[in-house]
Amino acid sequence: MKPIAGIAAAILLAATALAAAPPIQGDPKRGEVAFQKCYACHALEPGKNLSGPSLHRIFGRRIAAAPGFDYSPALRGLATRTKRWDPALLDRFIADPEALAPHTSMTFTGMRNAQERADLIAFLKSPGARRR
Amino acid sequence: MRAAIVAAILLAAAAPACAQEQPQAQAPAANVKVFQLPAGSRPHDVAPAPDGKVWYTAQRQGALGILDPKTGQIRQVPLGEESAPHGVIQGPDGAAWITDGGQNAIVRYDPKTEKVDVWKLPADTGYTNLNTGAFDGDGIHWFTGQNGIYGRIDPKTGEIKVFKDADGRGPYGIAATPSGDVYYVSLAGSHLAKIDRRTGAATVIEPPTKDQGARRVWSDSKGDLWISEWNSGQLSRYTPASGVWKSWKLPGDTPKAYAVYVDERDIVWVSDFGANATLAFDPKTESWTRYPGSAEGANVRQILGRPGEVFLPESGTDRLMIVYTSTAP
Repeated sequence: MKPIAGIAAAILLAATALAAAPPIQGDPKRGEVAFQKCYACHALEPGKNLSGPSLHRIFGRRIAAAPGFDYSPALRGLATRTKRWDPALLDRFIADPEALAPHTSMTFTGMRNAQERADLIAFLKSPGARRR
Repeated sequence: MRAAIVAAILLAAAAPACAQEQPQAQAPAANVKVFQLPAGSRPHDVAPAPDGKVWYTAQRQGALGILDPKTGQIRQVPLGEESAPHGVIQGPDGAAWITDGGQNAIVRYDPKTEKVDVWKLPADTGYTNLNTGAFDGDGIHWFTGQNGIYGRIDPKTGEIKVFKDADGRGPYGIAATPSGDVYYVSLAGSHLAKIDRRTGAATVIEPPTKDQGARRVWSDSKGDLWISEWNSGQLSRYTPASGVWKSWKLPGDTPKAYAVYVDERDIVWVSDFGANATLAFDPKTESWTRYPGSAEGANVRQILGRPGEVFLPESGTDRLMIVYTSTAP
């Protein structure tokens, strides 16, 4: 096999493996613990903005659109590139906020553990979080 | 690693129109140096280190950074697998004392032996989002945790005690006065608090501006407290002897005051995310001198210094600006 063809085959194999990998299942109970890393700046109650916006019903919400919150230019910039929060986007954001929204004023530098992120997202989707 | 000195001149930027009738000047060009730090380090807090060096917390890389401004040499000391250090100060022992949010621990780095000590908070405390530390007049290290706690560690024994803030989440900046008393502010709770060094109890002192978002606090030479207010965009002063408050709105349309520091001349430095600048405020003349960020989104989250030098860590540009206040760099 020629080197370029070999590399292409390897990339294809890796991509296939990734596509076939089951998504990480999140546990909302563990996610409630993971949420402690967000708790100082984000509330779950509707309309309760702290130094960060309320995360009440975050999924499906337009980016940089929590009523009454003064967003940084970084998040307003993200809103021009992507419209709404979904689990995949939030996963990318909390993995490395600075990478997705350079110059964000958010202090948190990221949750590196993919399982922990999946747990957090499961918690934010859960009735327990949405009821508040 | 050698740091590139990005600019020895102040980057040009027009002074914004004054929102108020307060004089405002551009900073002189010759007294600033900007050092490029490792990409992705996201320097959060900064502190003077021995031998003219500067420490910074490389929050995104879990390390303590050490910059030698004379040579430009930089190195980073890893602090632990889960480390995400927020605050750093120099203790009376000459060591770096770090509030490490990632490890939920107080970390000490000894520059003589290069030993790193880690004191985890008690397991039943839970995740506290450790923020900033200060030493009181008795040599006890006090710290804040943004999830609603403050606490103390005795450097001699390593004993840790944790206390709950009256308003829950929010404890952020903390500082000691020249008399050795310790105060902290709560960002979410929008209050100042004085700690009883003996009992650990905190007395809440409510600022006159509601929901002002008190983010950081520092003391001047007289023991008056200066507070940066994130939500209101104000710089406020509280005089403990009289209980009197006074506030000044930062210049500009949408100021967001983040860090505050008072230098040895009692000039008050405050960073403004809204204007991407740091301002030096002279309380005698009530005038502001503006130091623009070295690039867009500089995001200076803490300020510290030593006589003749003020350190501005730019978390958004991975740079560290030093302002030389008495001599040329």
